[in-house]
Amino acid sequence: MPEVFIDGKRYEFEGKPMLLQFILDQGLEVPFFCYHPAMSIPANCRQCMVKVGTPVKDRETGEFEHDENGDRKIRWFPNPQTSCSTPLQDGMVVHTQETSEEVARAQKDNLEFILVNHPLDCPICDQAGECPLQIQTYKYGPEGSRFEVKKVHKPKRVELGPRVTMDAERCINCTRCVRFTEEISETNQLTIVQRGDDNYPQTAAGEEFDDPYSMNTVDICPVGALTSTDFRFKARVWEMNQTPSIDITNGKGCNVDLWTRDNEVLRITPRENDEVNDYWMPDAGREAYKLFNENRADRPSIKLDGDNQSNTSWNNAIETFAEVLDAHEADDILTVGSPHASVEENFAFNKFFNLLGSSNAKFTPDVIPGAGDDFLITDDQAPNTNGCRAINLDEADSNSLQSAVSGAKVVIILSDDLVGREVLSAADLNDSYTISFATNENDTTNVSDLVIPITCIAEHAASYVNVDGRIQRSYPAKETKYTNRRLNLEMSEGRLDRYGTNFDNWVSEENKVDCLPVWQFLNKLAERINLDFSYNHSRDVFADISEQFDMLSDISYERMDEENGVQLPIKQEEVKQA
Amino acid sequence: MAQDWKSFEPLLIPDIPNLQQIEVYEGNGGYDALKKILNDQNEWSRDNVVNEVKQANIRGRGGAGFNAGLKWSFMPDPDGGPRYLACNGDESEPGTFKDRKIFEFNPHLFIEGALIAAYAMTIDTIYVYIRGEYISWVEKFQKAVDDAYEKGYLGENIMGTDISIDLEVTYGAGAYICGEETSMLESLEGKRGYPRVKPPFPAQKGLWGRPTTINNIETLANVPLVINNGAQWYSDLGAEEHPGPVLYGISGHVNQPGVYEYPTGVPVLELINDVAGGIRGGKDLKALIPGGSSTPVLRADQLEGVTMNSDSLKDAGSMMGTAGMVVMDEDTDMVDVLWRIAHFYHHESCGQCTPCREGTGWLEKVLLKIKNGEGEMKDLDLLLDVGNQMEGRTICALADAAVWPVRHTINRFRDEFEARCKKSTHAVA
Repeated sequence: MPEVFIDGKRYEFEGKPMLLQFILDQGLEVPFFCYHPAMSIPANCRQCMVKVGTPVKDRETGEFEHDENGDRKIRWFPNPQTSCSTPLQDGMVVHTQETSEEVARAQKDNLEFILVNHPLDCPICDQAGECPLQIQTYKYGPEGSRFEVKKVHKPKRVELGPRVTMDAERCINCTRCVRFTEEISETNQLTIVQRGDDNYPQTAAGEEFDDPYSMNTVDICPVGALTSTDFRFKARVWEMNQTPSIDITNGKGCNVDLWTRDNEVLRITPRENDEVNDYWMPDAGREAYKLFNENRADRPSIKLDGDNQSNTSWNNAIETFAEVLDAHEADDILTVGSPHASVEENFAFNKFFNLLGSSNAKFTPDVIPGAGDDFLITDDQAPNTNGCRAINLDEADSNSLQSAVSGAKVVIILSDDLVGREVLSAADLNDSYTISFATNENDTTNVSDLVIPITCIAEHAASYVNVDGRIQRSYPAKETKYTNRRLNLEMSEGRLDRYGTNFDNWVSEENKVDCLPVWQFLNKLAERINLDFSYNHSRDVFADISEQFDMLSDISYERMDEENGVQLPIKQEEVKQA
Repeated sequence: MAQDWKSFEPLLIPDIPNLQQIEVYEGNGGYDALKKILNDQNEWSRDNVVNEVKQANIRGRGGAGFNAGLKWSFMPDPDGGPRYLACNGDESEPGTFKDRKIFEFNPHLFIEGALIAAYAMTIDTIYVYIRGEYISWVEKFQKAVDDAYEKGYLGENIMGTDISIDLEVTYGAGAYICGEETSMLESLEGKRGYPRVKPPFPAQKGLWGRPTTINNIETLANVPLVINNGAQWYSDLGAEEHPGPVLYGISGHVNQPGVYEYPTGVPVLELINDVAGGIRGGKDLKALIPGGSSTPVLRADQLEGVTMNSDSLKDAGSMMGTAGMVVMDEDTDMVDVLWRIAHFYHHESCGQCTPCREGTGWLEKVLLKIKNGEGEMKDLDLLLDVGNQMEGRTICALADAAVWPVRHTINRFRDEFEARCKKSTHAVA
């Protein structure tokens, strides 16, 4: 197998890898800015320079030539080479900054150049703390600056589009954003304008950067030149916790990170998963963080007189729920599951009412034909349509759901704004007692007689099956009234001082929503009506699911964690139109 | 070099009135080389043409001086797909203004050369890229192209043979960088003129990813001379390692600036004094930039016995470049000159590579500081250091071209720079 020597150590390689990617794959480090594994290689930042030599071969025999010490003769490239654009060759010898003064100096020189016109406004820059330029300057850059003349001034606070704001002075001209719109989103909305140290990315005159994937350029910008207009100046990176999760705004299930501070989700960024979304996500998915903070169903609420809802205690909510169940036959109760809720929530919900004698819950897919694209936006507006199918809920279109509702005396809806998305009208629910399990207040909860507030994806561990049949899970990112970051071992603790006390500023009692996971509320309800139903954790719910359904029999949270989601044998069919 | 260079009769731009008119060109043996080849394609097989040009050793006149025929031989075998000849008429290097003379006074010689090149490399499409500022030369040249089409030298079935070659005239928007061969390809493709990472070289992947050869206008104008008179005749002209006629563009403090055609190897001082009429106002020569602004400046005392060919100029510490000679008299302020050159490279850096984008601006700003009398002694070392950090670390050679004048002007006129710094408000630092 061909071999390469990097900093004196031998590595074997296959195919024709590029040197920088190969170095990174070995867990080694060479600084770089413009390179991105998903895009073409422009080699323009010139930061990843290394010293490269190739062995001298005898022209006749093709054998390596040796010097008097018996070592291979190496022909060194006269100048340092950008490792991103250097294909590996058999016998190549490479020195990075670790073993070559010359390379370390070249990298330092380059960083000095990058910084001469950079505003160095890290204290007020959103990128600080997660900035490749900042990090690599600390590690490989020069001390101080020899630049004593005037810096170039360029446009600042430019709204390139509705979601991306540019500071052209911070730009180091890596062209990642331009290449993103050329090669990934294919809108070609950005280009570099001007020349030399005056240049920066820009749209065509009069155009705006409204690419539905525009905010990915903020993620890949290696400096703070492109920032999220929405997130700008909201939080410092080091104040937030980062929790893996998935995008719930459509059926693709893009892998994401939720960034929280004080029990609020402040932003959502994509998390790499080659099987689903690579490094990207649609802008729409990033705006979902508002759903987790605002307009939440907080404390149970109940309609007592006429149409006025008022908050009530959990005890009263359980009591009322129990009385409603007691007063009706199982046949008069219609349960509606939800493609917007997780597999565990749908399963626990359905199982509970099955135990009471109801037939399987119905669910209505939330599909807008033509809303999707060929990339990461799907027609399916819900994250778990295939999850409802996997546990055999009863798929119903709008009409059949309407007729089922009209025949029922009690309608219990799991986390689905059926009125808001016009599957049902408010009038359809007039004649029945309607109970909604809900994360947020919406048109359906407004007409419900009893609203049970439940945890959202940012507050619970649960799994979702995407349009392609891949099951992936979430982790709790923010606390509710009834959880505790230090007791809930699944909660992410993004900071080094994670054994925080109440006196640490990242432990916060603020913004905790008064809600429960569905299974936990049903535990309490089961206790009240003496039903044999009890789960300690969503993990137990999932264990029950994998026992009951062959398709999920070898799936577990551990496996989903290890494999970053698992592909189920669900056909990658287009989700049927509702 | 023969001593009789003064009796040389121009070949590229001969003294024939209205030679730009196709009838006049034809009447003076024009297109004979093309006819010679196309009428006897056995004798003049494509390989034979390439070999003849290779043996003639036409060194590229765009500045790099690479053997044109050798460059042609790098083209891969035809695979049936498109192949291109891209002719570089972007000449934007300060001190260089020779190709436009060809466009104006002998365009058909170049067209004939380009056709022979296209034939030799099995190319059916020629692009001629002319700098945007040359709009009136674009129009003049377009007229010549139209005439050549009309007469059947361009287009379908040239002169009744089964050879068909098209020629498209196009022009840039005024960027020096588009004269860099791979940027020129980007610009031809309608993109921003950014140099490409090599490899792959244009012969493998050029215009639209297809095999492409890029030649300078003057280089191709030499080709018909070789075909008409033979490689041996051509390589006997001028300097041995760098033969042929050259268009010397002499500018600066001389009495008669202009473009003069002589063989390579003419003594520099004779060109200045005997051809360009000597230094203006009877002053003394101070310095010479021999081949466009990026070639290292030479002091007058370095010019004794130096001739205009690559070996001699290399020995003297400079380069032949484009033979665009900038002559400076004794009153020239070298700080001013260097700042102006640095300003040019700062203005023209495309901005793709970090060292060039940032370094060219840094060089200019420090030089401006010195020029304005605010320089410090440490600035001189800083300039040299910044230059060292730029050279050899970028995709194309613009950074190198920006650094060489800085390095050599400071080194060769250091006392002048030091004197300026010592007089400054920040003298002792």
